[in-house]
Amino acid sequence: MSTEVADTTNLSEKKDFLVRSSSLKDVRSFSREVFEKFKIDENLREELVLAIAEAAQNIVKHAYKDYPDTQDRMAVRISCTDKELEISFFDKGKPVEKSKVKHRAIDDVKPGGLGTFFIQEIMDSIKFKEGDKPWINNLVLTKKL
Amino acid sequence: MTYKVTEEGDTSTVFLDGEIDMDKTEGAKEVIFPLIDAGKNVSLNLSNVQYMDSSGISVLIESHQKALEKGTKLIVKDVSKSVLKVIMMAKLEQILNLE
Repeated sequence: MSTEVADTTNLSEKKDFLVRSSSLKDVRSFSREVFEKFKIDENLREELVLAIAEAAQNIVKHAYKDYPDTQDRMAVRISCTDKELEISFFDKGKPVEKSKVKHRAIDDVKPGGLGTFFIQEIMDSIKFKEGDKPWINNLVLTKKL
Repeated sequence: MTYKVTEEGDTSTVFLDGEIDMDKTEGAKEVIFPLIDAGKNVSLNLSNVQYMDSSGISVLIESHQKALEKGTKLIVKDVSKSVLKVIMMAKLEQILNLE
């Protein structure tokens, strides 16, 4: 389900997805559609899509690590003003332990551990919050426009 | 993701297609790893891959390291602009054999 709230200064769209790796392509499609609709700079769009997909992937891989067959859904909300883009993720998985969220050393070349690094490189801020019920986790990414 | 493999001498060229994410990495490994295990040099043609995330990058790193272990070579070829951007963000342009 997708909802839309729009006025002259604020745009916001939200959609939920089954928590599965197979949903990631749908998360990307949704993000691309929203960025086109919000007229986000084309040079920024694919980077932002990558950051969103990495955050959604982290929910599948970490928050639902022990529940690969869950029927739970995660939600992605993209909100935009003239000056800032805010992307929020909501899930009902294992609570995020902020101290454990870190990327590998970038010069220690080995598979894995890059998703969070990409998000940090692309976005201006990353905040983990407790989700308002029924959500457990709420990750908020922002980017100045 | 779809793929095609061509052979020329001791080099196998793997043409990947589509978007490579967490959902597609096992399929990519199933194509690439047996070729490296068989002692082939692998040329990975990414001209038709328009999107790759950290999972796809991990496949490139794993394949590169596997090739080094086996004494073969992984070449990453015809990388699209969008995928090159991700490779550079991961600071791998000096590590992988890009052509």
